[in-house]
Amino acid sequence: MADFNVSLRGVGPVSVIDVKGYLDAHTAPELENVFNKLLDEKQYRVVVNFNDLKYISSAGLGVFMAYVETMRENKGDIKFSNMTESVYNIFDLLGFPILYEFYKEENEALLKFNEQGKS
Amino acid sequence: MGINNFRNLTRARGLENAIVTSILLFLYNIIFPIHDSLILSSINEILVYLTIYFLYSYIFPYLESKTDSPLSLVLNAGILGALVFFIVSISNSVFNSFTVSNGNVNVFNTLFSIVITFVFLGALVYIFSTFRELFFLRQKKDPRTYFNTMLVFFSLAFFSNLLIKIDSSFDYPHDAFFVVSIVLISLNSLRVSWIAFLVKRQKLYLLIISTILSILFGFNFGLLTETNTIRELLYTFSPGLYDVFSLVMIYGMIYFGVIFFTTLFHLPTAEAFDRKAEEVTSLMDLTKLITQVFDFKELAGTITNITAKVCNSYSAWLVTKKNNDYELNSVKDIAYIEADKITRLILAGEENELQRVQTIYYDSVTSDIKNVMNGLKSIAVAPLKVHGEISGFLFTARQRDVNFDEDEKKSLQAFADYAAVALENAKLIAESIEKERMEKELDVARDIQRKILPDRVPETEHLKTSALFIPAFEVGGDYYDFFRLDNSRLGFVVADVSGKGISAAFIMAEVKGIFESLSKLLTNPRELLIKVNDILKDSLDRKNFVTVIYGIIDETTGVLTFARAGHTPALLCSKNKIEKLQPSGIGIGLDYSSEFANTLKEMQIVLANEDIIAFYSDGIPEAKNASDEDFGYNRFEKIILENRTKNLDQISNALMKELSLFSKDHSQHDDITLVLFKWISKN
Repeated sequence: MADFNVSLRGVGPVSVIDVKGYLDAHTAPELENVFNKLLDEKQYRVVVNFNDLKYISSAGLGVFMAYVETMRENKGDIKFSNMTESVYNIFDLLGFPILYEFYKEENEALLKFNEQGKS
Repeated sequence: MGINNFRNLTRARGLENAIVTSILLFLYNIIFPIHDSLILSSINEILVYLTIYFLYSYIFPYLESKTDSPLSLVLNAGILGALVFFIVSISNSVFNSFTVSNGNVNVFNTLFSIVITFVFLGALVYIFSTFRELFFLRQKKDPRTYFNTMLVFFSLAFFSNLLIKIDSSFDYPHDAFFVVSIVLISLNSLRVSWIAFLVKRQKLYLLIISTILSILFGFNFGLLTETNTIRELLYTFSPGLYDVFSLVMIYGMIYFGVIFFTTLFHLPTAEAFDRKAEEVTSLMDLTKLITQVFDFKELAGTITNITAKVCNSYSAWLVTKKNNDYELNSVKDIAYIEADKITRLILAGEENELQRVQTIYYDSVTSDIKNVMNGLKSIAVAPLKVHGEISGFLFTARQRDVNFDEDEKKSLQAFADYAAVALENAKLIAESIEKERMEKELDVARDIQRKILPDRVPETEHLKTSALFIPAFEVGGDYYDFFRLDNSRLGFVVADVSGKGISAAFIMAEVKGIFESLSKLLTNPRELLIKVNDILKDSLDRKNFVTVIYGIIDETTGVLTFARAGHTPALLCSKNKIEKLQPSGIGIGLDYSSEFANTLKEMQIVLANEDIIAFYSDGIPEAKNASDEDFGYNRFEKIILENRTKNLDQISNALMKELSLFSKDHSQHDDITLVLFKWISKN
């Protein structure tokens, strides 16, 4: 049931969160913990890599909504990458692509952050 | 039978019998102060014997109730022994003046000798009854035969004095009985197993008392064999009484001598015996506690107290693991901070090696542990293990530099095991309480949801409607409703509040209120949803959102106007084609800027005859089967197409059947809502 895994790594000034398995109401607190840790460390530039994520529920979506504002207020952002089609459809239906940046590859997201950092 | 009846009679009327025989004996001696003939003497002896017998029958059942405290029995006997000693030793000096001699009879002397005799008789019976109680104390087998044999020989010694009266050379039977009695006394004196069950302090006390009493009874016996007033008095009164009295004094001397030596040999093991006994009692108490105490902290306090005592330690403390950290549950004679520091230093990195009791000695630890040990010289620690998993640790520490022996380690582990079981119990109880609370909460949420959803669907000439709702166990946030706007227009909403349980139910209630009032004010679905987004800004958490489709059907023209805020697309089945209608729009609560309004589009379609349009929640396409596959849109659309000619309820049922077949091995984790409309044109 709670087959979910989240790990955090730093790529330069950007933090990359890898999510894996099923992100639902029961596993969402694990992801929240990672975001809280990033806020404690004042890391506001975040890429979430969805490569191994199989399913996301509304509670999982809520996690990103809860933190994106704080990130953006501090000149950071949450960007998404490597989503499978089924997961992307869930985001798409809700209109997330209007409000968040989605990338096919993690590199593109990192590159985007670097560009923003320079300007 | 006869004997039993007689025994019952003597028991039941013990006091009356004793009083009657005493009075008889008294009167007899007043009347015949000197019994020089054999007949007089025999009658007197029988009366004395009966008095002793009835008094004894009366007193010993009374003493049986005092067997819980053998020491007080011993002490009582000792006091009487001392009284005898006192009377005998002062008698020579004080009573010399009333020398009792044969022939010199006066009432005063007679009375005096009777009183003294009765005092001795009472003391004899009481002391002997005490010995009887001590004899039977803590005996596993029934030793009654030995004791009764001794009684028989006492009686024989008692009456054999009469033989001497007949012929003074006929004294050997009496001497033989007397000697046999002493042998039996010696044998019976060895039954002293009750000493083992005394605690150490009591044993020390007994050691002193028994020395004194053995000597005291020895003196009593010695004094009575010498020539003195009391001996004369007793012997003259009743030789049998004198003999039995001497025997009881011998009994006391031997018995307390045996007690002295036995206690002496028991003393070195007394402490170990005490500890074992304490351990057994403590474990029994704990077993009782575990089933009664729900509060683990309270039990932890008892456990640390007992541990410190049984393991001969100065202090003890108990820690439990909680989220990879340690929590001190209770401490005994050590400061919280100190115990905490020692715990952390000792457990650091070695926790997994602590599968059984380990000991830590001051001389063999690193200096940072030495710093916090603060006077403690040796520490023992045992893991709290349940089902092979360590849930905490029980520590005990000494200020003396004495190693913990195997027994102490075993008891420490025993207490740790008990603590582990209790901890597990407490956890299970807390879980079941929490579960109950959540179930109550879910009941409330289900109740709210049931009251919020409409209990009937609107039905008109041109518009057929069907609504299907299946709540998930945890209560999702699905909501649908219909609003009669005017004679020709019907408003409807299908929404899904994110989250589950009671919080989703409350937002749902709020959403219903907003739609009920706004649907009357705004006739444009797009404007209405923008307004809803504004209103919900204040009550939605950042991480909560609501997906909605709101639409209006004109029943005169068949025009359907609707807007979608992040909700699953509508399905339109027209003839043998089915298509998704998905105007753009983001979920309510995702964004409160102008972006929401900018991206929200309205869609308008004109329904043709027999067109079916479906609004639903994501519970349908996202229903899972055993291998975690989605039900998906293809199956969904196929069912609608295949059943499109049937009535709407039949379509709903067909879908439901397929869904439950599909997800039969997977619990439904989201609400399922399906609202179907079918347009029937005029003519």
